[in-house]
Amino acid sequence: MHPINWIIVVGYLVYVVVDGVRRSKGTTEIEGYFLANRSLPWWAVGLSVMATQLSAVTMIGTTGQGATDGMRFVQFYFGLPLAMVILGVTLVPFLHGAKVFTAYEYLERRFDAKTRSLTSFLFLMSRGMSCGTILAAPAVVFSAVFGWDLTWSVALIGIPTVIYTMIGGVQAVTWADVKQMVLIVVALVGMVVVLLVKMPVSPDEALHIAGATGRLKIFDFNFTLNETYTFWSGILGGTFLMLSYFGTDQSQVQRYLTAKSVPEARSSLLMSAYWKIPLQALVLLVGILVFVYYQFQAPPLLYNPAHEAQVQEVRGPEYRELQARYGQAFAAREVAARATADAPESAAAAAAMDVFLAREADVETIRDEALTMAGEVTGESPRDVNYIIPRFVLSELPIGLSGLFIAGVIAAAMSSIAAELNSLSTATVIDFYRRWYKPVASDAHFLSVSKWATGFWGLFACVVATQAATLGSLIEVVNRFGSFFYGSILGVFLLAMVPRSRAVGAFFGLLAGMAAVAAVNFGAPQVSFLWHNVVGALTVLAVGVVLSRVVPEKG
Amino acid sequence: MDPTETETPEAPSFRHTLVRVMTVQVVTLILLWVLQTRYNG
Repeated sequence: MHPINWIIVVGYLVYVVVDGVRRSKGTTEIEGYFLANRSLPWWAVGLSVMATQLSAVTMIGTTGQGATDGMRFVQFYFGLPLAMVILGVTLVPFLHGAKVFTAYEYLERRFDAKTRSLTSFLFLMSRGMSCGTILAAPAVVFSAVFGWDLTWSVALIGIPTVIYTMIGGVQAVTWADVKQMVLIVVALVGMVVVLLVKMPVSPDEALHIAGATGRLKIFDFNFTLNETYTFWSGILGGTFLMLSYFGTDQSQVQRYLTAKSVPEARSSLLMSAYWKIPLQALVLLVGILVFVYYQFQAPPLLYNPAHEAQVQEVRGPEYRELQARYGQAFAAREVAARATADAPESAAAAAAMDVFLAREADVETIRDEALTMAGEVTGESPRDVNYIIPRFVLSELPIGLSGLFIAGVIAAAMSSIAAELNSLSTATVIDFYRRWYKPVASDAHFLSVSKWATGFWGLFACVVATQAATLGSLIEVVNRFGSFFYGSILGVFLLAMVPRSRAVGAFFGLLAGMAAVAAVNFGAPQVSFLWHNVVGALTVLAVGVVLSRVVPEKG
Repeated sequence: MDPTETETPEAPSFRHTLVRVMTVQVVTLILLWVLQTRYNG
């Protein structure tokens, strides 16, 4: 990468850390460290909410998904605006009005200590591990693209994040999120502009080419439980997932607990309601435009440079023969793509499109052969979706913008990791350390413990990330286990709003909800995970309400 | 605890906001639908 790009990346990292440390001044109590003394404006909290949810996976994985699979992933977010509206009138006033540090703290006031501890423990386990995977995703890609050792990639992203989160607390996290969100949007919009300028066809023709391959098929109205991205799973399952995530996950709840008031907290969530779907469409559009761009500019046969190098070394002659065939297939496809672009509305359009699709299939067949070869040589998954955009950025974007995009990827990773570290520390200190071990101590003591807890979780995330390859199956198990209780925890919070519901219903309802999701998961593994949240939440509600009425109260 | 803090004066304007949110979503979905029908081969 050009030195100017590196200057942009390093300059950005230094700026975030220095600014974070600067914001730590005046933070002498845990209310300030964890909740910014509930003083932040709605727009800063709203941008922080969006930045937390937008991770590096979005910048490199979702854009790559746009290039290979098109726009249909946007359906995943169709339930989000409705979820934000529901949260605005239910959990937000409950949690903000309760003046709690963690969402789980509220459950003790409403039910009992064991329900609080169980939900908080489940949060710590799943988020602690997911923090590592969020860090690992861009680190693995940077490692392959720049040829660095994975440990250095993890350190580049992880260490600055841990420093400013540990020292600056939620103030540093939120204000860094604001800047990071601006950087991310500028980088994405800049990419779209550059793509449109460099594209040899008009935007209208580019979209016709993308549409011909089905990449602009956005809506799928089939009601099937085994398809993850449909209109119905997005609207119904997505609503429950977003309710769970924004309503009960401490990494999100803590964002809006820092708002000045209930109306400001609501407004911060409504920012996502307005902008999340358009932003996600923009992210996917970047990928789609990269796909169209590569119709006219030869793309690499394998996007993962590390895999490409290994294949060339081990099976060089065979790979070169494949590359030659790929070159011919690409040339034929380019001619067909231009014919499709030139005649999108004419009578010959259908015929041109058929030829183009046939040439596209030829290219994909050769790509599949190369991916199979990469899998055999490396012994790793040959899937290279996450490498499409980084390769494009480094080879095709002008100097400055590629540095901006790499900084944007790092910003996206940092904003998510920082929010999670901050919330993990909060749950550790408030729900366990202060609740069970040392209820009474000075604020200075709790502040010190909070900083060490942030550092601990940061170290934990870095270790998980550096072991990402060997921990792959373990992480998958943890993520799968995480889906068991996400909806169930939402069910407990919904139960809290049901009059006369009691602790016995909440605790055993939570266990029943997780068991129900596990049963669906193993008994009907083809059911998409979006529906698991619906099953979990409704089971907790049903079991909780019944037990609260049937089981007699003690004393 | 009393979770009803500042409910009453804010409620009408918030209802208005809800209508705006859902309107924006419907407009967004219509635009996506137009994109699909215009270009999907």
